[in-house]
Amino acid sequence: MKHIRNFSIIAHIDHGKSTLSDRLIQHCGGLSDREMEAQVLDNMDLEKERGITIKAQSVTLDYKAKDGEVYQLNFIDTPGHVDFSYEVSRSLASCEGALLVVDAGQGVEAQTVANCYTAIEMDLEVLPILNKIDLPQADPDRVCEEIEDIIGIDATGAVACSAKTGIGIEDVLECIVENIPAPEGEPNDHLQALIIDSWFDNYQGVVSLVRVMNGEVKKGDKMVVMSTGQTHIIDKVGIFTPKQTETGILRTGEVGFIIAGIKEIHGAPVGDTITIHKKEAAQPLAGFKKAQPQVYAGIFPISSDDYESFRDALNKLSLNDASLFFEPENSSALGFGFRIGFLGMLHMEIIQERLAREYDLDLITTAPTVNYEVETTKGEVISVDNPADLPPVNEISEIREPIVQANILVPQEHLGNVITLCIEKRGVQKDIIYHGNQVAVTYELPMAEVVMDFFDKLKSTSRGYASLDYHFIRFEASDMVRADVMINGDRVDALAMITHRSNSVARGRMLVEKLKELIHRQMFDIAIQAAIGNNVIARTTVKQLRKNVTAKCYGGDVSRKKKLLQKQKEGKKRMKQVGNVEVPQEAFLAVLKLEN
Amino acid sequence: MSLLVQQPLSLYIHIPWCVQKCPYCDFNSHKLKNDIPEKEYVAALIQDLDDDIKRFKLTNRKLHSIFIGGGTPSLFSGAAITDLLDQVFARFDKKEDIEVTLEANPGTVEADKFEAFAQAGVSRLSIGVQSFESDKLIKLGRIHDNEQAIRAAQLAKTCGVKSFNLDLMHGLPNQGIANALDDLKQAIALKPDHLSWYQLTIEPNTAFGSKPPKLPEDETLWDIQEQGIKLLSRAGYQQYEISAYSQPNVQSMHNLNYWRFGDYLGIGCGAHGKLTDVANNTIHRTVKVKHPKGYLEKNRAALYQVNSVTAQELPFEFMMNQLRLREAFPIERFEHTTGLPLATVETQLLLAKNKGLLHAHNNTWQVTPLGHRYLNDLLEMFL
Repeated sequence: MKHIRNFSIIAHIDHGKSTLSDRLIQHCGGLSDREMEAQVLDNMDLEKERGITIKAQSVTLDYKAKDGEVYQLNFIDTPGHVDFSYEVSRSLASCEGALLVVDAGQGVEAQTVANCYTAIEMDLEVLPILNKIDLPQADPDRVCEEIEDIIGIDATGAVACSAKTGIGIEDVLECIVENIPAPEGEPNDHLQALIIDSWFDNYQGVVSLVRVMNGEVKKGDKMVVMSTGQTHIIDKVGIFTPKQTETGILRTGEVGFIIAGIKEIHGAPVGDTITIHKKEAAQPLAGFKKAQPQVYAGIFPISSDDYESFRDALNKLSLNDASLFFEPENSSALGFGFRIGFLGMLHMEIIQERLAREYDLDLITTAPTVNYEVETTKGEVISVDNPADLPPVNEISEIREPIVQANILVPQEHLGNVITLCIEKRGVQKDIIYHGNQVAVTYELPMAEVVMDFFDKLKSTSRGYASLDYHFIRFEASDMVRADVMINGDRVDALAMITHRSNSVARGRMLVEKLKELIHRQMFDIAIQAAIGNNVIARTTVKQLRKNVTAKCYGGDVSRKKKLLQKQKEGKKRMKQVGNVEVPQEAFLAVLKLEN
Repeated sequence: MSLLVQQPLSLYIHIPWCVQKCPYCDFNSHKLKNDIPEKEYVAALIQDLDDDIKRFKLTNRKLHSIFIGGGTPSLFSGAAITDLLDQVFARFDKKEDIEVTLEANPGTVEADKFEAFAQAGVSRLSIGVQSFESDKLIKLGRIHDNEQAIRAAQLAKTCGVKSFNLDLMHGLPNQGIANALDDLKQAIALKPDHLSWYQLTIEPNTAFGSKPPKLPEDETLWDIQEQGIKLLSRAGYQQYEISAYSQPNVQSMHNLNYWRFGDYLGIGCGAHGKLTDVANNTIHRTVKVKHPKGYLEKNRAALYQVNSVTAQELPFEFMMNQLRLREAFPIERFEHTTGLPLATVETQLLLAKNKGLLHAHNNTWQVTPLGHRYLNDLLEMFL
């Protein structure tokens, strides 16, 4: 056990985590050059395309250190995007140490700070690594100062490396062996294995990534999932090298996989503890809090025929994504679909893309909203994640919106823009600290404003230099109203939005104008109105299309005219019928694009 | 058992040459470089016709109408047209009063030529005036001017043909409502029997298509159409198709046959034909080699491309033609020309009826004025 080192890498997107992990694997001979596909740990196509990590993965490496001993290094990958910070804490729970990888040119970013604090709170040994040292803009001294100043850890021994060129990789490995403590645990105790992650494999069923805290687990053991008490015979036990490699046993302190013919992911919940039947551990491990969805949106199949396949697709996706929450939703405008909860906007985009790409579904997504707490005049408190579910105005005594604490790191020269943005988004400044050229500012902001396009705006207003981390802190009473949209008098539930009263008229106007651009002229005038209750706050009209007819047609070749009409028809098929009006899909997301 | 019934047979003859190509034109026409190989082309046309007759066993069939279109057929000499028509007539059971239309460009007109065409058997001239405004004519790439247009119309009246048509466009670049109506008034003043008054459409693969001119606003186009129809109606011209207006009983027989989904042979470069084959329960479409050079090389095997129209496409093709007409059509027309029972399209017909686009009456169906305004939306239902 004293030759085991379990660690994660904490890094901001683009700071080179994936490249560094590839280099570590290569150095330890985990894969031959031929097998070394770029960024092996990012498995999903989407992860590769977007250059981000969504799910935790692990790899076990054998490293022969300078002291002549061979060490087992277990590297557990962590996601780098703010939407997935929940997954980071899971990876960290299985480690004794973490590499804090910072781009030696760009310095510390807010997300890194947040994750680093999580690691420190979990008593992990944090080792600062300066990456991209080969780049001309690298400034290791300044970045070390930032690490000490902003995060508050000693950076004197920081290892400098370049994952791209391979400089310093050996130093990184030596640093891991020297500084990260070996795991502790009782090999002779009853088994306690923490499920770090579970995913569904079409051929093997559920594969669980576990960290053995005490005892050992072998192939053929009858395991018990402690929260459910369900038992399964273990088919396979092993490690990722990064190839799935059976070892037949995992001992105290080790990280690897267990496969036990479990058919669905909820049979091996993340954070649960595995023990052995008849030799059961007295207590489960601490585990994790369940991830709470932050953003909700309705997703509907364009054709009602696709409802069943849509449900199947969601079930399959949730096999691999325990954070995906969904329940049936019925919209008068869009028919039957699902209300889906996401960890954030990126999570939502990824799910949308996977549904379209892997399941070939034509779907309409409604504007995302956060979860509101509504107190009714009867004194009940209900949770509302869909504008359509908001009770009538006269039955509401108070609407409370979720507030987040946002920690933003930004170079001084962009501070003014960032503050302007936060004020525009109804933010209240809580703290501001200057660290050399970097400024750490803390705001309390309505979550509704943050989850939409705040991140993109923050990036553009700071030329990409500002970084953000946020977390929910409380619900707060706020003067929120629901703005409805009526198309030719028909209230379109899927277009309703919950907005702060002070913004409602402006947003209502922008929304109807946006809809006017998106809804094409049809055989009649189309009135578009926005209203709060019965009070119309904005209106506009899409004028009638005067005619739609081909001037000339004399026998001859009809194929081209036919193609034209076919194209027109295909376009209409992708639209939704509201009363007599054909409404394009984009209209349902118009709320999102109000300020662009 | 097939529902198909033999349909009236028309003949379309394509003459592919023009003095110059107009920027809006997407027909198969080619700028004339040297002299027209008249003799060779007429010979090729007759060979083409004989091949069709043989292939579809049409010997001694009755011919319903002939249309010589282009390109610019009036570039051909009277002698060539005489030769062509003589040979065509010799191959069919010729109706005495058969409608034979020839398209003429006002820029290529001479008095004796028109008389020769009439002598050859042409009974109807269709004159491509397009506009009476000089600046518009230049923009449209036309080779004639206002005076030539008027002269061509006057000649058509006296040369011996039974009737004539003027082609006139509206919705031209920079055209206001006053200009458009003025054009129409000038055309009416020439007292044609028939007016094809159609809105300029920008087609792909034309000079306008690649460099679109600025066209009038939708509202202007609509006003032009509404007021133009009133003007035409007051002058006795009835609209019987989207863009076709005529004095009573001088509708274009040839075009009516297209729109009623009748049969037609198409000979000449790039010509399309459609033939009902009752015996084999099939509808054939033919396409001929498009370029004059290839066509004239007399590579007979390459002349043909015959496709059978599948049952799936037939309802749409029928509607695409028939619904252009104001007239009601009897249910049998659908069944006899497509070979399909009306039930095939009943759902769509009823849907269109509910939307006010079609009207059903005594076993006939008729497009409503609303249906004509939104004909594309109506036709889509049959796709």
